Amino acid sequence: MNTIANTFAVTTAAPIAAYLSGAGLLVVLGTWIAYFARVPSGKVPIRPIGSIVLQCLGMGLAVTGLLQGPISGAVGVGVAAMAGLTLLMGALFLWLLTQRKTPVGDLKVAVGDQILAFSAQSADGSTFQSGELLGKRTLLKFFRGGW
Amino acid sequence: MTVVALSKDTVADAAMQRRRDGLSLTLLSDPELKVIRQYGVEHHKAVEFSTGRFALFGIPLALVPSFKTMAIPTSLLVDETGTIRWIDQADDYRIRSSEARVMRAIAAAFGDGAA
Repeated sequence: MNTIANTFAVTTAAPIAAYLSGAGLLVVLGTWIAYFARVPSGKVPIRPIGSIVLQCLGMGLAVTGLLQGPISGAVGVGVAAMAGLTLLMGALFLWLLTQRKTPVGDLKVAVGDQILAFSAQSADGSTFQSGELLGKRTLLKFFRGGW
Repeated sequence: MTVVALSKDTVADAAMQRRRDGLSLTLLSDPELKVIRQYGVEHHKAVEFSTGRFALFGIPLALVPSFKTMAIPTSLLVDETGTIRWIDQADDYRIRSSEARVMRAIAAAFGDGAA
């Protein structure tokens, strides 16, 4: 009797756990894609509350899936893999947001100053001297690099 | 208006980006962070994603975050005499000078239609 009850519990818990962890993975990855699709156009929200809530929701679904109890066989492996990836990606997203601040305040020039003379290698292989900018209106841009 | 953009990328990386993105502006490389430090725009421990060892035939299988030193996104508007007329710096690297903001600054510094 006990064995039958256990079997029943396992067979009903397995699909529920799979649905929960699968839904969690979809929510987390979907939020990643929706967020990063807005990066190239510079339209990322300053406070991405919606993305944070969705990431937490996705991780919550994954944890709820895991809490359905240990599941044997391929379904168990699938649930563990989906829930694990969901938690990893959700946590990575939230951690990444904590890294957004830059250490400003060390700038060595101010409005009204002359630019500091510099030289650097140009992408075409030549050496660029800041003196070449004299007589031209220039937008001088420091950026993080290509990606 | 001349646009000059400088980053920590190597000459090879910058040349690749210039070709890939069809850029006509001057891309400068500062892999030793000489100019970036000279101007005080160094972001020590900035997060960068790379494929690392997790690539198969050049296709990334995973993106690994790591800490790199790079420039804080900073825009300087400079006039013909080399005087800085406007500075914009991002205290959140996700939020950079938008085109509209730069255009407003150019108009304010040099008058409408200067761009």
